[in-house]
Amino acid sequence: MTNENFVSLRDLTLAYDKTVAVDRLDLDIRKGELIALLGPSGCGKTTTMRAIAGLLTPRSGSVHIDGRDVTRLPPSRREVGLVFQSYALFPHLSVFENVAFGLRLRREPDLDAKVMAGLETVGLTDFAKRQPADLSGGQQQRVSLARSLVMHPKVLLLDEPLSNLDARLRLEMRTELQRVQRETGITMVFVTHDQSEALALADRIVLMRNGAIEQAGTAEEIYNAPVSGFAADFMGFETILPNEAGGGLAWRPGAVVLGSGPHHGEIRGASFAGERREYVLESALGTIKADVPVSLPRYEIGQTIAFDLPRETAVELARLD
Amino acid sequence: MFENRAIGLALVLPAAIFAAALFLLPVGILLSEAFRTETGWSLSAYGEFFASPRNQTVFFRTLKLATLVAAVSAVIGYAAAFAIVSLPPTSRGRMFGLVTLPLMISPVARTYAWLVILGRTGFVNQILVDLGLIETPIRILFTETAVFIGLLQLFLPLMIISLVSAMENMPRDAVPAARILGANWLQVFWKVILPLTREGLVIGGTLVFTGSMTAYITPAILGGSKVLMLETLLYQRVTVANDFVAASVIAMILIVMSFSANLLLKRLATARKSR
Repeated sequence: MTNENFVSLRDLTLAYDKTVAVDRLDLDIRKGELIALLGPSGCGKTTTMRAIAGLLTPRSGSVHIDGRDVTRLPPSRREVGLVFQSYALFPHLSVFENVAFGLRLRREPDLDAKVMAGLETVGLTDFAKRQPADLSGGQQQRVSLARSLVMHPKVLLLDEPLSNLDARLRLEMRTELQRVQRETGITMVFVTHDQSEALALADRIVLMRNGAIEQAGTAEEIYNAPVSGFAADFMGFETILPNEAGGGLAWRPGAVVLGSGPHHGEIRGASFAGERREYVLESALGTIKADVPVSLPRYEIGQTIAFDLPRETAVELARLD
Repeated sequence: MFENRAIGLALVLPAAIFAAALFLLPVGILLSEAFRTETGWSLSAYGEFFASPRNQTVFFRTLKLATLVAAVSAVIGYAAAFAIVSLPPTSRGRMFGLVTLPLMISPVARTYAWLVILGRTGFVNQILVDLGLIETPIRILFTETAVFIGLLQLFLPLMIISLVSAMENMPRDAVPAARILGANWLQVFWKVILPLTREGLVIGGTLVFTGSMTAYITPAILGGSKVLMLETLLYQRVTVANDFVAASVIAMILIVMSFSANLLLKRLATARKSR
């Protein structure tokens, strides 16, 4: 093992009863990396995460963590942490006891100090004696994070860590996770269906589709150079058309030129979004989404206008599907 | 809920009169029977009842069997309930249906089925003989074992139902969270499942314990007069000896034991909770 494959999934097939959720997946995660498993629901991202945690036994293939084959090990012996989407705090135990849960099982010395240090990391020392039910969702999630961190896991898994939080808390938690990752250097894998979360947080994004990896790379790589129609669609390209080579061309709304060009379309929707104005056009090429600076002329719904999809602002896709 | 309290009271009155006239009054008369003597009120009937070695045997046998059935059904019930809630929703519904199915069959029919299975030429003896484990059929019917088996089968579904609904109310992911934090299955049970389902256990335990203690048909058919329980003894005192005093004493004992069992279980549950 090197730092390049601190966590290594080889030929991993995961299934529930007869449905194959993940099909022969290969993935290497570097030590200290913050990686996002991104994809729509049912793409196998959560299943993959559960397999790393040991909550699911693979049908075939292997899971290695820090050079050790953990494929057949129960979750309790894998040295991973998991922050559940539901937080999964123990409602019958105080915040302190929740954080102490794993340490007590290990019979660790200096329990009090370690638990309080854990609560300190997430800024909740004043809440030690409270019950989980008295806490807000965001606070519960931080308790859940502290409960995992005090165990010093080799890998920290997070299931949709931001999706249950409102916009303000989301930014706060995102900063918090990045800070924790920077300070502890822990390897983090988080699952999300939200491309903006993945782009903002992850060092590397693994885009999944139908139980396989569609594309993996840095945020910029995937954002700027999606390999397929699926990846482009997920990364916010709204207009995707076939090209002559059997692949595709994709435009973001901002790359569409309105007011001139060879195509014509009827404005079906228009909305003001601060700096830009967003339009939906119905044309022979299908539905086109465009957004242009508010300084440009304004069009009304029902108006037919010329538009262009310039070749030079398009991204080439190797596959259209 | 009602603007005028009188309307609420008027609505509950028929039920209250019904319960008072047809339940509380007769029960009161029956129970007072045991405290009344020719000279006045006394507890002597209870003393006499417990002085008899046969009555003592029946009392402790009833206590023992009811406790045993409750304990064993809790063990089996936890395993079954955990298996059921771990299933995907459709098969969970099916399994739950299978568990509750026996409740829709008359206890008499179910108990007679045990006569066929446990009898001298029954299924169990047949297999034991065929396997060469025994040479001649053993007596299972009319033993405490037969009564135990019958009661367990009769009341296990109640325990499973109570525990399944308690487990469905546990927070999702509490069990996997404990496992990832290093707990083995035994620790998961003691530290997470048991504390979070203790109310279901109290309800199930009370139902099974009082049910086993007050069951009549099963001990009557599978135990007969060889393995008397309080309930069958009560019936025998009334029909054979026309002894309503003893019947009243037994009835009172059964009521007190039911309430005590419930209180004790509740106490046990809250004692662990306050830790």
